[in-house]
Amino acid sequence: MDIISAQGLTVGYGAEAILRDLSFGIPGGRITVVLGVSGSGKSTLLKTLAGLLPPLAGGLDFAGSPVDYSSERSLSALYGRIGVLYQGGALLNGLSLYENVALPIRMHYPELPEDMVGDMVHAGLAQVEMADAAAKYPAELSGGMRKRGALARALVLDPDVVFCDEPSSGLDPITSSRLDDLLLRLKETFGMTLVVVTHELRSIERVADQVLVLNDGRLHFAGEARGLAESGDEFIRTFFLRKVPT
Amino acid sequence: MSETILLPKRLRAPEVAAFLAEIRRKSADGGLTVDFREVEEFDSSALAFLAHLTDCEPGLGVVNVPDALARAGARFSRRPGDHWPEKTAAETSGNWMGRLFRSLADRFLARLRVLGQYLAMLGDEIYHIGVYFRTRKGVYPGETWNQMFFMGYRSYPIVCMLLFLVGATISITSADQMRLFGAEVYIADLVGYAMLRELVPLMTGVILAGKVGAAVTAELASMSVLEEVDALRTMGVVPERFLMVPRLLSITLVVPLLVAMADVAGIMGGMLVARITFGMLPSAFLKQMVNTVGWTDFAWGLAKTVVFGWAVVVGAGFKGLTVGRSAEEVGRATTESVVLSITSIIIIDCIFAFVLY
Repeated sequence: MDIISAQGLTVGYGAEAILRDLSFGIPGGRITVVLGVSGSGKSTLLKTLAGLLPPLAGGLDFAGSPVDYSSERSLSALYGRIGVLYQGGALLNGLSLYENVALPIRMHYPELPEDMVGDMVHAGLAQVEMADAAAKYPAELSGGMRKRGALARALVLDPDVVFCDEPSSGLDPITSSRLDDLLLRLKETFGMTLVVVTHELRSIERVADQVLVLNDGRLHFAGEARGLAESGDEFIRTFFLRKVPT
Repeated sequence: MSETILLPKRLRAPEVAAFLAEIRRKSADGGLTVDFREVEEFDSSALAFLAHLTDCEPGLGVVNVPDALARAGARFSRRPGDHWPEKTAAETSGNWMGRLFRSLADRFLARLRVLGQYLAMLGDEIYHIGVYFRTRKGVYPGETWNQMFFMGYRSYPIVCMLLFLVGATISITSADQMRLFGAEVYIADLVGYAMLRELVPLMTGVILAGKVGAAVTAELASMSVLEEVDALRTMGVVPERFLMVPRLLSITLVVPLLVAMADVAGIMGGMLVARITFGMLPSAFLKQMVNTVGWTDFAWGLAKTVVFGWAVVVGAGFKGLTVGRSAEEVGRATTESVVLSITSIIIIDCIFAFVLY
């Protein structure tokens, strides 16, 4: 069952379309990787899926309901069911990690007492093995810690879908691999749906269940990740074998 | 008379620059030939040089181009038509008057759009403040106090010092004229009236634009560039409420204190000069001042400064939240925010002057 489905989606900035006529589904409880070369529109698509950028044409259904980008109520309902891990983490620099993770709870449920907020924050931070760093500020954290902290913030209200924009970018292979482990654990333990934008082959091979390949402004491929590297498609082979066609 | 320039074995940017100057000097006489036979080492500037000589210098002979250079030249050919966007028909059509008019009209419409967005943001912020007071949701606890500390406590020394100097300056510059007419005693009226009604609100507004407005824009623009604003939105937090309401509440609360302190500082500056130049006692100065200046003048000055404060914060928020995606834009937005704030302050002040006097 698809938790997100797009029909004829055209996305871009202003009047300029970057991706045209995309139709695909994102199945629940699985990891879908959005793949493409730099500038292919992966992050732009993610913004549209996360409700930040209205499509130029076409539409999106989330859990069976159409997303109305002009309605504050519809977007608010969408935001209440998703979490987003941004490329740089996007933790608020003026708040400690604890306060960053507590922020969505305090904003949505100001009536909750502080001890309950504290328990929820610590549970979120423990999930990403960051409970010890709760009092630190984003500037005191490494790149990988910032991303894990941001993931804790994205997870703290138990969203149905978590979008991750290039989670491995700027990280060393070991930290990147630990982050991949974390994504797999979230899927396996909580049955969470994850949509990951990346072009890191190692991550794709480890975590992807399904792949959406973007190329030349179109959806080039949508399907199972298994056996993708052996695909007969020239672009996908180019991507996986890192060999530019002559 | 024909002449040949033989290029050296190594042809890189410094040699290209030197030979280009020589070629330009000599080509005016005509019959010039450039011989590439010796060239073995070259870079992209040599390729651009070859393309320039063949395409843009008619009447110049180019001979003995080595195969390697010719092949590389063909591969890295850079003609504007190949890679650079062509000008649109609208940009090239019509005479220069038409293009000038079109360009001015485009700029005017763009400014009008910005004004519309700015006013829309002002309306949105009034709505968000209403929603916040009704629901008590959407603003981080304690943020208004933090902003009050920054906008008030951190601003009052500079505001008081500058207004003290402005009061003293008004007193000094008008002292001679007053003495001519034997009207020294009215210096108190002048200082009091000018400070309370005009100079304190205007100067406080300008200082807030430079200090608070620039800081708010830089902070919000950095947050936008670092995707923190997007992160807030996808957490279901409305950034225009979360970030702007504390700042607007804070400016509304700190401005009366700042104005009161600035009024006192300005009057003290004027009083000190009156004491030094005319030997006027402070008690006499104050007594004379209160004959002319009353609570209404203080209240109007205060009301004006609150409006200026709002113009500064809304302008700063508008520029900060509508910034692009690069670090360079943060600096540009900050500068534009200060200009926008000062312009709005002066326009609003002018409107107040028409209404009040």
